[in-house]
Amino acid sequence: MNSMNGERFFDLAMKVIARQASDAERAELDGLVSREPELKEEFERLQAGVRAAKDALPLVNAMQATAGELPGYARGRLQTKVRQTLGRPEFADKEPDRSFAGGWRWVLGLAATATAVLLVVLPMFRTPSAALIQLAMLETTGGTRGADTNEVALFQATWKGSPVRSFSSASELGAWEKNWPTDAGRSTAKIIYDPAAGEVRVFGHSKGKAFQQAFPVEKDLATTLAEVSRFIREHGF
Amino acid sequence: MMSTPNLVALQRGDAAAWDEAFRWLWPTVFAVSQLKLQPYCPNEVEDVAIEALEELVEKVRVVAAPEELKPLAASIAHHRAVSLLRERFAKKRGQGKTESLDAPADDAGETKHEPLAADSPLANLEQKELAERLGQSLEDLKPPLGGILSDFFLHGLRYEEIAKKRGVALGSVGVYLKRGLEAMRRIWGRREES
Repeated sequence: MNSMNGERFFDLAMKVIARQASDAERAELDGLVSREPELKEEFERLQAGVRAAKDALPLVNAMQATAGELPGYARGRLQTKVRQTLGRPEFADKEPDRSFAGGWRWVLGLAATATAVLLVVLPMFRTPSAALIQLAMLETTGGTRGADTNEVALFQATWKGSPVRSFSSASELGAWEKNWPTDAGRSTAKIIYDPAAGEVRVFGHSKGKAFQQAFPVEKDLATTLAEVSRFIREHGF
Repeated sequence: MMSTPNLVALQRGDAAAWDEAFRWLWPTVFAVSQLKLQPYCPNEVEDVAIEALEELVEKVRVVAAPEELKPLAASIAHHRAVSLLRERFAKKRGQGKTESLDAPADDAGETKHEPLAADSPLANLEQKELAERLGQSLEDLKPPLGGILSDFFLHGLRYEEIAKKRGVALGSVGVYLKRGLEAMRRIWGRREES
């Protein structure tokens, strides 16, 4: 079979297999096969290939999907799985500017799942070097949960005198995360409570070194906040 | 557009890296889960997709390259969906008979036609093997091959319609189909030939 006939055979075979062939095309294929019986075997081979393609193509296409967003409620569950399975990562100290730009994108990630943000920003106490502590509470349950007054009270009890403000825009959290004191040398810690993820995360810089840590709320929030308080004290706050 | 996640960060449990990976993988696991479950138990689609990501977390330490993540996630979602369907149909029949998966439910929620799941070669591939084949398919079906195959075999478009849709010469549609089909047969026909 020459290449012209080979191409014609393939096109006809495809159309017959896909049930797109006209009577004339079907007759033409029959004629080719009767003249060259080995084409029958080739036709069967093509049929097997088409079956494989029809079976696998939907899955291959689905794998390349790009639409759709991870549901907000799933994030906490999945991050819990990460902690339980892989434990906690060790963070290396980095230069403050670089670590905030590259190492804290997870805060922006939280924005995708947050529907309301309860934010508390306060300078808790100032060490002689004027260290600053900023606190945020992140609501992730679509407004049905609301700011839990007990949780706010716990924050206020741990860092007394904290004013409480509520936010409902994800972009506000992102802006807050990026908003550092203009005095680059000033030690600053940001603390975010994420109830959906069941953890309190801390990041900041002190004495020219960056730090970050996540604290799971395993027993209760008060216990976790006490751990957080100890942690930032160890970093000079 | 999200990029391929940092595998090393994932393997050490970096929460930020996982956040990014979950967002990147979600469309895949959801689409695979939906593909299998939507006609029979649409309420389970999201749960199965989330479970697939949880299982991926368990397996991430044995992943060798970030490019393996998406095929692995897809194969996990596929296997979970197939297992759920088998369980459901077996329960429905009350005799452990495995039913399938390829026939949609009618208005009463009953399947009109339920060929055996074992008829589908994909349903019986090992998870690892399925992931490898999916990864290979991604590699081999570079545009416009995958699209043209889908147009012809899944959507029933004619050569003329494909040429117009894809902006290729009419005479080259058959060439693309032949190349794509050969790739699919090479990747997915291995089990049948072995």
